[in-house]
Amino acid sequence: MTHRIQLTVNGEHYDLDVQPHHTLLQVLREQLVLTGTKNGCEAGECGACAVLMNGEPVNSCMVLAPEADGAAITTIEGLASDAQLDPLQEAFVATGATQCGFCTPGILVNARALLDRNPDPTEPEIREALVGNLCRCTGYIRIIDAIEMAARAGRKEPVQ
Amino acid sequence: MQPFDYVVPQDFAEASALLAAGDGSVRAFQGGTDLIIRMRGGFLKPDRVVDLKHLPGMREIRLSDDGWLVIGAACTMNQVGLHGVVLEHYGVLAEGCNSVASYQLRNRATIGGNLCNASPAADTAPALLCLEAVAEIYGPAGVRRVPMNDFFTGPGRTVLQAGEFLIGVHLPPAAGRSAGAYNKLGRTKIGDISMVSVAVNCAASADAATWRIAIGAAGPTPLRALDAERSLGEDASPEGVARAAELAGKAARPIDDIRGSAAYRRAMVQVLARRGIEKVLADLEPASRPTPPLTGGQS
Amino acid sequence: MTEHQKTHVVGTSPERIEGRDKVTGAATYVDDIQFGPNLLWGALKRSPIAHGLIVRIDTSKARALPGVRVVVTGEDFPGYMGLYLKDRRIFALDRVRAVGEAVAAVAADTKEIAEQAVALIEVEYEELPGVFDPEYGASPDAPLLHPDLGSYECVPFVFPQPGTNVSNWMKVRKGDMDRGWAEADLVFEHKYRVPHVQHVPLETHVCVAQQDPNGKITLWSSSQSPFAQRNLIAKALHINHSRLRVITPNVGGGFGCKAGVSMEGAAVALALRAKGRPVKLRMTREEEFYTTFVRQGLVATIRMGMTRDGRITAMQNTFYWDGGASTEYGVNIARAAGYSGTGPYFVPNIHVDSYCVYTNHPVGGAMRGFGMPEIHFGIEQHIDVMAHKLGLDPVQVRLKNCLKDGDETLTGMTMHPTGLSQCISKAAEAIGWGQPSAPAGPHKVRGKGLAAMWKAPAMPPNPGSSALVRLNEDGTATVSIGGVDIGQGALTAMAQFAAEGLGIKVTDVRVNTVDTDYSPYEWQTVASRLTWSMGNAVLRAAETARVQVLTAVAEAWGEDIDDLDIIDGMVVSYKTEESVPLKDIAIYGVQRKDGTFVGAPVVAQGRFMPDYVTPLDAETGQGPRAVVHFTTGAQAVEVEVDTETGELQVLKIVSAFDVGRAINPEMVRTQMEGGAVQGMSTALLESIILDRGRPRNPNFTDYRIATAVDAPLETENIIVEVPQDDGPFGARGVGEHPMVPTAPAIANAVFDAAGVRIDSMPLTSQKVWEALQG
Repeated sequence: MTHRIQLTVNGEHYDLDVQPHHTLLQVLREQLVLTGTKNGCEAGECGACAVLMNGEPVNSCMVLAPEADGAAITTIEGLASDAQLDPLQEAFVATGATQCGFCTPGILVNARALLDRNPDPTEPEIREALVGNLCRCTGYIRIIDAIEMAARAGRKEPVQ
Repeated sequence: MQPFDYVVPQDFAEASALLAAGDGSVRAFQGGTDLIIRMRGGFLKPDRVVDLKHLPGMREIRLSDDGWLVIGAACTMNQVGLHGVVLEHYGVLAEGCNSVASYQLRNRATIGGNLCNASPAADTAPALLCLEAVAEIYGPAGVRRVPMNDFFTGPGRTVLQAGEFLIGVHLPPAAGRSAGAYNKLGRTKIGDISMVSVAVNCAASADAATWRIAIGAAGPTPLRALDAERSLGEDASPEGVARAAELAGKAARPIDDIRGSAAYRRAMVQVLARRGIEKVLADLEPASRPTPPLTGGQS
Repeated sequence: MTEHQKTHVVGTSPERIEGRDKVTGAATYVDDIQFGPNLLWGALKRSPIAHGLIVRIDTSKARALPGVRVVVTGEDFPGYMGLYLKDRRIFALDRVRAVGEAVAAVAADTKEIAEQAVALIEVEYEELPGVFDPEYGASPDAPLLHPDLGSYECVPFVFPQPGTNVSNWMKVRKGDMDRGWAEADLVFEHKYRVPHVQHVPLETHVCVAQQDPNGKITLWSSSQSPFAQRNLIAKALHINHSRLRVITPNVGGGFGCKAGVSMEGAAVALALRAKGRPVKLRMTREEEFYTTFVRQGLVATIRMGMTRDGRITAMQNTFYWDGGASTEYGVNIARAAGYSGTGPYFVPNIHVDSYCVYTNHPVGGAMRGFGMPEIHFGIEQHIDVMAHKLGLDPVQVRLKNCLKDGDETLTGMTMHPTGLSQCISKAAEAIGWGQPSAPAGPHKVRGKGLAAMWKAPAMPPNPGSSALVRLNEDGTATVSIGGVDIGQGALTAMAQFAAEGLGIKVTDVRVNTVDTDYSPYEWQTVASRLTWSMGNAVLRAAETARVQVLTAVAEAWGEDIDDLDIIDGMVVSYKTEESVPLKDIAIYGVQRKDGTFVGAPVVAQGRFMPDYVTPLDAETGQGPRAVVHFTTGAQAVEVEVDTETGELQVLKIVSAFDVGRAINPEMVRTQMEGGAVQGMSTALLESIILDRGRPRNPNFTDYRIATAVDAPLETENIIVEVPQDDGPFGARGVGEHPMVPTAPAIANAVFDAAGVRIDSMPLTSQKVWEALQG
């Protein structure tokens, strides 16, 4: 049984037929071919699939496709605007916070949400906000530095 | 996952009828953070999942006329854990909710799912036992209420019968002065499933202190440590605290499993209980201990 | 190359050349590639038992399921494969040797149908007694897991013991053990245990295979070793190498588990029967934990003799490696442990036995450190134990015994110049060695620990690198290589070499990812070898290209080549001050005075293969040159122990490694940070819990890795540079090494803090608490 849903993704409106046993992660990657969001575990543990759903971070592998009806989704592809990188993205490049890059999209989306709700986080607050985003390459050290750097750089308005 | 139908019932009666099959072919669905994993792993193969989130009141937190806080069963961990009234008056529950997994998972995981999944390690359960919360259940025979203390019947098992589902958790009006603490031990520093956990709550009035201590992940269900509560109510001096903590350890019924040994868990119940009691006493300073003489028993 | 050469790009830290792709989600990984509606989904039927004969496989119900296009079993593909020892098949044929071993595969229109089809395959097993411990496995009492061991193809430097479960017995014998023990004032022996762990790359193994109508197979693979995959799979399927093309885009982490071949052979097998449709095989996280590669477990007995003034007189070390169902890769880990078996110390009398043992456990393979983290866990604690028993400072004992330039290693190799002593001293100083830790709160104690290490690239004697450099009309250079960026920064390092060698800006260098049809050969992206080996190839290619350019310009301008240079993409004459942009001449040549052209297009090659590694004697492990070189280093750690719960908080990790020459210092530091945290994670959290061969925790719920909250509060990275004689600008690799000493450094710090010694990993809070109970 397919469900017809309407949603916006990175500001673009979509009418989609989705399968209830598919997740939002599958809809994004397979139906919309937005492959920036990654599949790391499909168990809500690693955060590689994190997207913003109505402004709040969720693991898209934990959202059934029909539940996305009416939602506004932001993925990694929607962080930059008008070919200008989000300060977080710039900071990640500057500090060397990516290595293999697989955890990067989920962390950036989650970090964006963190700075939107807490523009000046302490280091413990940053670490705690990232506890559900696993990284095996970097040891998190430069990721934390990058988020601090981006917090200092600031951003005018939060992502819708 | 193998295909299934996704149904959004329009009212409680329809939801109950859908869930009445009772043979595993139909599953209640809210946050999905347990269900989706089990479906993907092939452990559950329902024909249909019933999304309860949109039923009236399921995602609301409100104060009732008689001062109870009513939390809809489909409220997310973040909704509950970051709610002003919960933080102010039921802090131990906020700590329990906010200890689950990660911020992004707490945007999906629900308090009802945590309770109905009924893992002995459920992080909202010890707090709710301490707060003497009441479960509101809808079923074929209408609404019934069950004290949280009686809600869990075994690992992964609750009093819910076929066709029944949790619609809310009711918290009694908070005492004038109260404090609580939730301590859990995991393998990683935070965000883990509890290896063992202890919730402590104290409602203090001028002449009495009502202590509640509940243990998670150290028994077939979350447990109250009744002897520890009584002992602490009689004596909250440092020696009394140590004795109460020891009694809490004795109340635990842990097992050996891949997360920890029974002996370690029992010892940690004692440590976490003592730390929780000490924190609560500090939070209730200066008048945390009632002046003698004490009456026996708790209100 | 012994002086610190002046460089313009090498030694600076430009941003990663693929960094912007990664932060925007534009970077392509195998699962991102679109194959259209014809894509088939592959799934594997796996053994539920640890050891048994396959009595019967019935695939009829699976074949009959609508949407199922291919079903294959071991009978369809019986060929053996393996990197060092051919003891594996693509699918189990007559018997299974591990829970999770693949016995059949399907390809179907959807993932759901593929899963259903796998469930419909019926397999009947006759269960056999299993081997779940390597010491037992090596004993005569154990059932034989590979009765045909004697007939397996094997490289000459591995020594299988037919008729046993020992697939490699590496021996090192040097000096006079009796004299060594007699000279010692203290002789002490202890056993240390390291469980299986998994690499946990964030991207699980994934590949897509497709055969075209003319028989050419393309394999898109998240792999560290596209050329090795081509080699091993082609040989297993008895096809020519040129019929198999391997393409590797970005790789989401490997740490060794994506070296060699794991399930990619199954995807190719399915593709051969899929009538031209592409077949995707993607491991779930659960499968990743135990069906691709794991790090072998180790039971190590360390016996050491030391004089009262701290000189090591003898070591007798025995390593039993829990190799798993197949040890085609693990045999070399046992070997590496053999020739490194003393740790980084001069020991005149040495007896090492390193046994790779078959067990009915997941397949062991290469993991960051290749045996070094496992053996150093025991060795580096043992040195501390000996020092404490003798009342000596463990840092001073290390400085006394650590290998110096000219010392002989345990295999008789002369140690090259090394910064090991510097690394130990600097790490100790940076952690405040000798100064007591600041007082902590109630029930908290703090302590410091240090561990040293060494590791050589573990390779066959002839691993080759090659590179192509060509210039483009816009003045950029394209570098083609066979090595893979798995996150370590290989593409960026190569861009720096090319820029340096040519004289152009690093931002004008493009480095291709690997396509074996177009890329020049690279042995594997393992062993921390790319900066050193592939770097040499790229540098040579770039320098050759530079000479092509300058030769042509010299001729056209009638100048001496020594008066010419290329600076930031501009060809200049120091003599006449004439100049011409490289982009103007790279494709079209330089015009002579008579109007003719010379010198284009500019395209150059480079290659490197060490030609000096000698075999080692099978009985003594002695030989002039066991390995190409050793990277050495040390870590010092400060920890806080909660004495009530046993919980550990790592306060600070100091890493000091001798990298020869830091090509990109910031990237070197990120390797130190990442390795330290991965090392810390295995030390505190990780083990694959195996219950008679069945993994109990193949998921993130119960296999925890360090999160951002667990990462140390502080890290410090110290780069030491003692040049490597044949490294590009003196460089040596460092990718693996920062993971090696972390666990013993932490264990040593726990002893310093709380007085308990934990001789098995991981150092869980429960284990520490139990030790504290006495």
